[in-house]
Amino acid sequence: MSIRNTPARWGTVAQFLHWLVVVLIITQVILARWAEGLPIGPKKIEVYAWHKSVGITVLCLAVLRLLWRWMNPTPELPATLKPYERALARVTHFGLYLLLFAQPLTGWMMTSARGFPVSWFGFWQLPDFVPRNQALYNAMKDTHDTLALTLIAIVCLHVAAALKHHFVLKDDVLRRMLPFTKKS
Amino acid sequence: MMSTRSLLVSSVVSLLAATAAAAADVHYTLDAAKSTLEYQFTQAGALNKGKFTKYTVTLDVAGDAPSKLDVVIDMASLDTGDKERDDTLKTPDLFSVARFPQSRFTSTQIAKTANGYDAVGKLTIRGVARDVHVPFTFRPADGSLMGKLTVKRLDYGVGQGDWKATDQVGNDVAVTYALKLVAGAH
Repeated sequence: MSIRNTPARWGTVAQFLHWLVVVLIITQVILARWAEGLPIGPKKIEVYAWHKSVGITVLCLAVLRLLWRWMNPTPELPATLKPYERALARVTHFGLYLLLFAQPLTGWMMTSARGFPVSWFGFWQLPDFVPRNQALYNAMKDTHDTLALTLIAIVCLHVAAALKHHFVLKDDVLRRMLPFTKKS
Repeated sequence: MMSTRSLLVSSVVSLLAATAAAAADVHYTLDAAKSTLEYQFTQAGALNKGKFTKYTVTLDVAGDAPSKLDVVIDMASLDTGDKERDDTLKTPDLFSVARFPQSRFTSTQIAKTANGYDAVGKLTIRGVARDVHVPFTFRPADGSLMGKLTVKRLDYGVGQGDWKATDQVGNDVAVTYALKLVAGAH
């Protein structure tokens, strides 16, 4: 299997970044729900700190993914897709990439506006994205919450489409993103 | 006619009086509007800042040497820029502000150091008094008193229960004071 993408298949780097981000986004949802439910205390601070650190990690990975995408061929969509399906796939993928940036950035703005600086896993303190501002915090919190639900919705669509390709259309769209599978 | 001896005595007496006047205590009080009392602490690995907005400071200066420093902080005035955090800091497990509304430093002696002064005295926070050295510089010309002191919060019981852990909220709190004092009545 090639490290780089080919017109027929995602390479190992693209696959690794894709699945790593999948794991991290699931982690983010779990951490956010866990932190929300905790009473105010060191544990809540800690879990939110993980959520923020993982979020910044996702932001960096999103940059890497885009760079890698631009440096590589993008596997083509099956020729059998109808124009609207093609458009829907594009919009979905664009939305996913957009949210990979928007979610960390709105989260970072939220915490900065609240006056809680972020440290990436305790190694490096990020600069404050925006000055302290309660109204901005409220707006960013609403946005972050809404985008989280939007992300979940688009992910569901993405997963449904992948499963349809695999089980209904029986093409290789899902398989070419899976490691350890051969091109059919 | 005054004898030489009585002249001498009278001269010495006036000299002493003059010295005494020069050495008279000057009592300085705080110009709160031009002063800041801030602190820095780590929270989740990041440096966070806060300040106090209500406190009083008095400094007695004998001659040109500070002789007594007294600081009283209204703990309810702590301000970290976030109401939820401020309210949490005031709870019994942290500063317990309802029971211990004030923190105080009272010096017992002040020594001259290479860079300024070292006030030795008792710092009382959350009802726990400890001997500390408070370093500061003081310029009578403009009344500026500045310095920085690191306090370990757990030394004063600031952090009970879960808050005893220092991995999320650090033990060290760096207190920075940049005060403007004004000379008052003797």
